[in-house]
This record gives sequence, structure tokens and C-alpha cells, in this order.
Amino acid sequence: MSNFDSVALLLLILVPLAGAGLMMLMPGDRPRDSWYFALFIGAISLALSVLIFARYDYQAGGFQFIRTYDWLPGPMDISLALGIDGIAAPLLLLNGIVLMGGVVISQNITYRTREFFVLLLALAAGVYGVFAVRDLFFLFFFYELAVLPMYLLIGVWGSSTDFGTFLRTKEYGAMKLILFLVAGSILIWVGILAVYAEASGQGGGTFSLEGLARMAENGRFDSTFQTLVFPLFMVGFGSLAGLWPFHTWSPDGHVAAPTAVSMLHAGVLMKLGAYGIIRVGIFLLPEGAENWMPVLIALGTVNVLYGAVSAMSQQDLKYIIGYSSVSHMGYVLMGIATLDRIGMGGAVLQMFSHGIMTALMFALVGAIYDRTHIRDINVLNGLFGRMGVTSFFFVIAGLCSLGLPGMSGFIAEFMVFTGAFRTYLPLAVLAVIGAAITAVYILRLLARTFYGTPPLSLTSTDGETKAGWAEGLTDAGVLEKSVAGAFVLVIIFVGIWPEPLMRVINVSVTTIPGV
Amino acid sequence: MQWAWLIPVFSFAVAPVIVLAGGRLTALSRVPGGAVLSIAAIGAGFAFFWIALLGWMDASAGTESCYVAAGTEALTCNYERTWFNAGLPGLDGSVALTWGFFVDPLTIAMLGLVTFVALMVQIYSLGYMHGDPRINWYFAVHALFAASMLTIILADSFLLLYVAWELVGVCSYLLIGFWHERPAAREAAKKAFIVTRIGDVGLLVGILLLWREVGTFSMTDAFAAVQAGTMGEGVTIAAALLLFLGAMGKSAQIPFHVWLPDAMEGPTPVSALIHAATMVVAGVFLVARAFPLFEAYNATPLLVVAIVGLVTALVTSTIALVATDIKRILAYSTVSHLGLMMLSLGAFGYTAAIFHLLAHGFAKALLFLGAGSVIHSTEEQEISRLGGLRKVMPLTTLVFAIGAMSLGGIPILAGFWSKDEILQAVSQGRNPAFIVFALITALLSALYMGRALFATFFGKLPQELEHTHESPPVMTVPLALLAILAVGFGFISFNWPGAFGGFGYFVFFHEGHGFEFTWWIGILSGVMAVGAFVFTWMVYERGSISLESARRRFAPLLRVVENKYYFDEIYQWTIDRVVLVFAGFVAFFDRAIVNDIGINGPADTVRRLGVALRLHVTGHLYSYALAMTLGVVALGIFWWLITA
Repeated sequence: MSNFDSVALLLLILVPLAGAGLMMLMPGDRPRDSWYFALFIGAISLALSVLIFARYDYQAGGFQFIRTYDWLPGPMDISLALGIDGIAAPLLLLNGIVLMGGVVISQNITYRTREFFVLLLALAAGVYGVFAVRDLFFLFFFYELAVLPMYLLIGVWGSSTDFGTFLRTKEYGAMKLILFLVAGSILIWVGILAVYAEASGQGGGTFSLEGLARMAENGRFDSTFQTLVFPLFMVGFGSLAGLWPFHTWSPDGHVAAPTAVSMLHAGVLMKLGAYGIIRVGIFLLPEGAENWMPVLIALGTVNVLYGAVSAMSQQDLKYIIGYSSVSHMGYVLMGIATLDRIGMGGAVLQMFSHGIMTALMFALVGAIYDRTHIRDINVLNGLFGRMGVTSFFFVIAGLCSLGLPGMSGFIAEFMVFTGAFRTYLPLAVLAVIGAAITAVYILRLLARTFYGTPPLSLTSTDGETKAGWAEGLTDAGVLEKSVAGAFVLVIIFVGIWPEPLMRVINVSVTTIPGV
Repeated sequence: MQWAWLIPVFSFAVAPVIVLAGGRLTALSRVPGGAVLSIAAIGAGFAFFWIALLGWMDASAGTESCYVAAGTEALTCNYERTWFNAGLPGLDGSVALTWGFFVDPLTIAMLGLVTFVALMVQIYSLGYMHGDPRINWYFAVHALFAASMLTIILADSFLLLYVAWELVGVCSYLLIGFWHERPAAREAAKKAFIVTRIGDVGLLVGILLLWREVGTFSMTDAFAAVQAGTMGEGVTIAAALLLFLGAMGKSAQIPFHVWLPDAMEGPTPVSALIHAATMVVAGVFLVARAFPLFEAYNATPLLVVAIVGLVTALVTSTIALVATDIKRILAYSTVSHLGLMMLSLGAFGYTAAIFHLLAHGFAKALLFLGAGSVIHSTEEQEISRLGGLRKVMPLTTLVFAIGAMSLGGIPILAGFWSKDEILQAVSQGRNPAFIVFALITALLSALYMGRALFATFFGKLPQELEHTHESPPVMTVPLALLAILAVGFGFISFNWPGAFGGFGYFVFFHEGHGFEFTWWIGILSGVMAVGAFVFTWMVYERGSISLESARRRFAPLLRVVENKYYFDEIYQWTIDRVVLVFAGFVAFFDRAIVNDIGINGPADTVRRLGVALRLHVTGHLYSYALAMTLGVVALGIFWWLITA
């Protein structure tokens, strides 16, 4: 193992964290410099993520880049134990890509730019931390670090929705989000303490994920205990993953958040929840997981259908994408709940695929909103004529969303279907129907927003009539285009040749107990 | 022959190049750069079709990768590659997703049709789409479409077939909506995609069901499992019917037929290629490809296929008879003929169905391109405002007449032979009711073809169309080439002396059979076709027969047919009143119940509780004194009660 490998993960967490710290020392009245610095940090993080992913040895499998720093030895046995397996590796890569994209398109943040990037980088460091640790305590610590900045990011830099009869302020969105996620955290924390207590009772008190997983494997946690505690993790982590009926924070949160935060939030943060269910729930409480999986897959199916049907009758672009995220995360939950090699692999791939796709969509909606100040699909029309490249990329994102072969979404959803077909046939059929409903709301969105001719004047939702608005519309700038273009390339690359991701995912999916 | 996989790859490769660099190429070369690339790619595909055909003819059961397939008993060559592993390689073979291809008679026949028609249509498009600002995009999607369609034909696994199937769907969506500024085009594109997608749910479920039973997506393995009897009756029938659902969507069978006529909103060459000659026959092709599944266990699914095909053929041919838009007449005629092909498959007429598929493909491409030539020159598609065009567009008239007569079943033209094969198969394979209705469909088909021909090109030329010109050679040359096939293609079904025993010894299921001709069917259908053309000639050219009295007499019936049996209205009602209301209810439920009551409710309760509890912190000394006094008294009473 080279020197780089032993410090790679620590660097990965420290770079954005130190970046956030250093940025606080910078002068606050030079927004451009803050953005440049954030770009610099983002680029290093992305480079590190790519390097780590590429260096992950998919033939060896297991945890790699291992390094353990003792923190609280003794009966508590807490240590900053770093290491990633094939499930975490693609998600690290995802975080790197989405963070970089988010920073690039945030060049238009002018209000308290420095603070914005401080929080954004802290959030990213938290996400890296969750994926990179092998210790329950630090997993929770980084989880909170990732979730809490969200409140300020939405509350301060967000935007409110006002459709006359339907009002959602950004403060409401931020408050709702944070209450939900903190409530979830409490459940998780109780679960963690319960697991620790049980392990102590068995004479092996530790917070080490590997140690606890080994105890579970040896049957040291009895079945009743597991069945009682697993729902804490399922619901706690599940609410971050948008598990129905604990999903309502997510559309409101996505809509209120500024573009880069929506991207990170829907793209990466929701995946923390799904990852937590696998890493903590299933690895530590395999028997409990097995007992609860029928419930999880049923809820996942509800997610798929409910999210899709709800998206059908939304009129705000961002709400459509928000509900579509609820629907797509349903496939992730279903895949996990199959406890099937293919289904689980599909779930992990779907996390990656959905992360890129939804970040792309939010980036494009941001570009559209910046120029038109409208997100209502009943008002927007004919953008293709004015914002050709933006529209083109959005169509590709939409086709990925509805599961068009040749795009990453198809491979992932297809694998989830396949896994579910072996295990829960009727629900799998419902999930396939859900994919057809997705086509309905995506095509409705595309037809209303992008096709047709732009109207000469329009009345925005606040009653103001703008004449000739379409003449002044410009296409996305070079930065937005290059971010979106890069995301599209990733989507198509994975759709055509998923092997580089799949071989990494596969090698670790088989280590999940019950699979 | 092992290079047959390149046929779609050429077109796949040029599509992104056109999107990225088409504009620059055009600037360099004056002709649309995208068109050149796209035509070169499909031209190469057409050349490789011949290579594949000759290679197959040279091959024998001993050739590497070739064998006599258990299902069709035809010489089949199969080449396979691994695409990616959805699980660990070696651990579980069932999750290796492969892509591979067949070269067998069915594939070769379809390759010939698709590469040739696509080539003709793309050359024709050079003229038809001349000057369109998005011409490069047009050719890019065209290339992608051709590539996907060719992949469907070559695919040896259901998964690869599904992938290509969906790509074909999306290309069709993009091409129908090519002029997306027109609301009708936009709606038609959406409708086409969603309606076929509903059928595709069935297809995907069917494919996954087969995978669950067989363990791989390979077609060969699935057919082998059926023949070995390892796959149970229920599953086989269910899978076949589910696949058929997908086929119904793509091939626009009732009740999924509604998208095809609307798809005429796309540019006319697109209609020729996609909605006549190639994409819509994908469903027929799928049934033929999966024939071993349909045929197993007493062929129960084939009865469904036959009934759906017959109903579709009959119902839509009546609509074609009263439609007034020339492209819609052709569209309904396409649906009707697809129904006939399905009926033929359902009546065990495997060879006849494929034969008609090819003959219809050439004739219908010809008709659409001919109609396109008319629309290009006159910018009119209502037949009531057209007429007499033979005086100004002689060449178009000639080729359109050939196409119409071929499809209408005028003897010795290609359509006559292929339709006859179908009628013969139906008379042998199904009970007499089927042949009666099939003959009625054949008659209707000749009638609406005659009507389209005579109403457009004969009769009186309207004054405003007097200055119409014939289309440029780039459009008429492909028409002439297609016309040759529409005339002569039928002859390949004969028992020619020498090596080639006729089409029946090339594409067949189980065993080849020579050319047969049932005299009474042949004469009857020939007489009906000629009669129908003469009748429509008298109505529209001579004006010696008036339909007015018949029209008045059957006015209510006519209204039902003219409104296309109200299928669209029923669907629209269902969408508006059921689907959207339900979606609205779910969204309302999410907002009002889950959010306002479930989430805001507890939040508000906490807030109100806070407000209420806050009241006791008044800051007034006397209220605290009162509270203290009351507390002491209460404690006193409590003390007294428990001691007493």
C-alpha cells in the first residue's frame, strides 16, 4: 500500500473541511475570490474522489484505504477508522462530481458568498465522512455535519414558492427539513446506543462497524433485539432517503433550496439515508433486516407510485423534480429490500445514477429560473427556441429519468426490477408500471416547457405582465453548459458501459449479510 | 457474416457525430453534412446486408457458430458477446447481460427491408427536408432510428431487443415531434410515446418473467426451455401474452392503435419509414421471433393474436374508407395491414405474414413518399381539396398508382401474392368466420386504396393547383426504385427452377413449403380488387356513381366511423376524468392529509401548547401569590384526604 492510499480518505475529508475553515478567514466582501477558492477546493476534492475510485481494487474487494486513528479507546472503543468498500466508492465519486458541479454553477451567489461556500464545503466534508468511516460514532457525527448546514443554506439563500393559493416560504421548507431530519437522527441515535449496549452486554462493547458486524455474523445479537431495533434505523435513515410517508420534507426542501444545494441535497444527501440503511441497518442487524424487508419493499413501491402520481399534477418545475426524486428513491429502497444480489447492486447503481441525473435537472432548472424567474410549467413555453442547449440537456435528463436504455437510469432500474422479480413478483410489476407513469409526467413537463413557440408576453405568478420577455432570453452560459455536458456524459457513459461501476459495486454487494 | 453486427453500428456511430459536428460539415460542403453521413452509414448497412445474405447462403450447419435452430428448423448463426455483469462473473451466470445477434432467414429478410427502405427514405429526405433549419438534427435522429431498428432485428436476447425497442420508441417520439412548434405535433409525439410505453410495460414484465423461469435473457434458451417442457404451461402462455402486449403497442393493434394516425404530424418521410415500413412492423416481427413461445401448449396465445389482428384489420379499414386526409388514409391502411399480418401469424401463416410484411413495407413506403411528393408540391393533404394531379405530376401519379394497386391486391402485383398467401393461411388455419372477415378486409382495402388514388390524382384539377410541379429527381428516383419492388417483389414466392425454391423455403417455421395457390381465393380476391378499383374510378373520375344517397341512408353509422369509433374521446375522457382526477387527489392527499394534518398538525399543536402555557408566566406578583395560595390549599386538602 502506497503512502497516498493510507492518507487518501483523511485528505478527502480534511480538504473540504479545511477549505471551509480557511474560507472563514478570507475577507467577506470579495465574492469572486470566495468562489475561486471554493472552485479550487472542489477541484481537489473531485480529483481525490476520482483517484480513490480508480485505485479501488475491485478484484480484492472488501475495505480498502484503511487507516485507524484512536480517539476514545477503552470500553467505548471509538476510533476514527477510515476505509471504503465497493458500495461507498461510487458514492464518494458521486459526491465529488456533484460538489464540483454545484460550486461551478454557484458563481451567481452574491449575497454572503463566503458564508455560503463555508457551509457548502462543510456539508460536503460531512458526506465524505459518512461514506469513508468504519465507525458508528463517527458515521453519526459526519451524518449530522452533513445535515445541519442545510438549514442555514435553505433558510438564508433559498427561495419561496408562491402560487397564490399555495404558499411555501423558504423558512417553512428549511424548518420542516431540519425537524424531520433531526427526528430521524434521534431514532438513529437511540438505535446506535441500543446496539452499543447490547454489544457491551455481550462483553464486546465497541463502536467499530466491523467489530459489530462480526458480532452480528456470529449470532451474538438475538433475533428479537434485532427485530425491535431495526425499524429505528429503517425509519431514521429512511426519512433522509425520502421513505414514504416521511418524505414530505423533501419536495418542499428541494424547492426552497438554492440550485447548488438542491443538487447536493437530492443528488447526494438523500443517498446517505439509503447508505445508512445498508451500512448500519443490514450489516449490524441482518436478522432484523430480513424480518422488516417486506415492509420496506412495500413502502418503497408506494414511494415509486405515489411520487410518480404526485409529480403528474404538479405545476412547479422543481416540485416535479422533487416528487420524481421521491419516486426514484423508491427504486433504491426496493432494491435494498430485495436482499438480492442484482437488486442490491441495482439499488447502489441507482443511487449513483439518480444523483447525477437529479443534480443535472436541478442545475438546468436553476439556469432557466435565473433567466426567466418562472418555474410554472403552465406559463413557460417553447424554451427550445431560445435556450436550445439547456433544453437539449434537459430532454436527455428527462429521458434518463423515464428509464430510456442507453442511459444510466435504465441499467439501475432494470437491475432493481430483475432483483425484485425473483423475490417479490407482484410489487416488481407495480414498479414497472411506475416507470411508465414516469414517462407521463416527464413528457408532460418537456412538452409544456420546451416545445412550442415562446409566447410574446406572459403573466408571471405575481401578476406582473412582461412583454417580449422571450427576446431577451439567452441560453445557459459556458459554465452551466460545461457542467451539464459533463453530467450528460456520465449518464450516457454509465448507460452504455456500466461495467467500471458495476464491478466495484458487485464485489461488495455480495458481502452484505442476507444477500 | 460475423460482421453483420456492424450494420446498425455504422448508423449508431454517425448519430452523435452529426449532432456535434453536423453544422460545421454543412458549412464546409454546401450539402447538409448530416445527411451525407447518415446516408453513407445506412448505405454501408445495405451493403453489409448483402454480405450477410451471401454469407448465410454459403454457410451450413457445420459452419462455426451456425446450427439448425430447434424452433424454426432454419439455419441460424448466432454470435454472442458479454455486455456487462450485473453480478460477479462466474458466481451466477444468470446475471451476465449479453449482446449478440442472430443471422437467420427472418433477420436477413428484415435487414433487407429496413436498410433498403431507410436508404430510399433518407435520399428522398434530401429533397423533402431541403432548407429546413434543423435538417442535421433530423438526419441524426433518422440514423439513430435506423440503428435501433436494425438492432431489434439482429438481437438474440430479449434484453437487447428491449433496449433497441425503447430506443426506436424515443426516436419515433423525436421525429413525430420534429416540428414541435405545432401543438398537434407535440401532442402526437407524447401520445405515441405514452401509448406504446403502456404496451412496453407488458413487454418488460414478460421478458423478466421469462428470465425468472429460464435464468438468462437469451432467446435460444427460452425457446429451448419451452420445447423441453421445463417451462410450465401457465408461465409460457402468460409470457407470450405479455410480449404480445408490447407488440400490440408498437404495431398499433386495437386498442393501442390511436397513436399511429396522429403520428402523421411528423414529416412525411418519417411517416414512410417509421409508421409504415419499419417501426410499426416491429410488433409483428416480435411475435414471429418469439413464435416458439406462442406456438407451445396448443398455441392458445395465437388465438388471441388472430382475434386481435382480425378485429384491428376490420375496424381500421372501415375508418380508412371514410378518412379525408391522404396521410390518415394511409395510416389507417397501415394499421389494417398490420392487423392482417397478426391475423396471419395467429393462423399459423408464419411465412405469409413475413412475406406480406415485406411486400407491404415496399408498397407503403412508396405510397407515403408519393403522398409526401404531393404534399411537398401542393401543401395540401385533404383529398377533397385535391384531384386531377395526374396532369401536373405524372411520375408521382404513376408510382402512387402502382403502390395503391399493389396494396389493393390487383393481380400479379406484389401485394396480390402476399395477401393471397395470408388468406390461404387463414382459410387453412382458422375457422370459416375468420376467412369471411379477412376477405371483407381485403375488399375494403382495395376500396380505400382506389379512393385515395382516384380522388387525389384523377377527377378535376382545382384551379389553385394548376401551377404545381413534379418533385425533383432526388425524390422521384427513390420512388421509382420502390415502385419496381412493389410490382415485382411477389415473384420471389414462386418455385423458381434452380437453387432458389421460393420464399417459402427461405423464411419458414418448422418446415419449408413451396408456392401454393388456392384458385377460389385467388380469383375471388382478384375480382374483388379489380371491381373495387373500377367502382372507385367510376365514383371519383367518371362521376357516374354518386355516393350521396348511401351517405344519407347510413348517416348515423357513418358518423360513428368518421369519429373513429370514439376511441380517442373515450381515452381522453378517461385521462381527464379518471387519471388526472386521481393524480390530483394524490397530490391533494399529500398536501392536505400528509403535510397539513400529519406534519403541520403536530407542529401547530406544539406551537399552540406553547402559546397556552406561556400565559401562566404573567409577571404579576398577585397571580403568583394566588397560585401559591391555591397550591397550599390544594396540598392541604390532599393531606387531609390521605390521612383521613
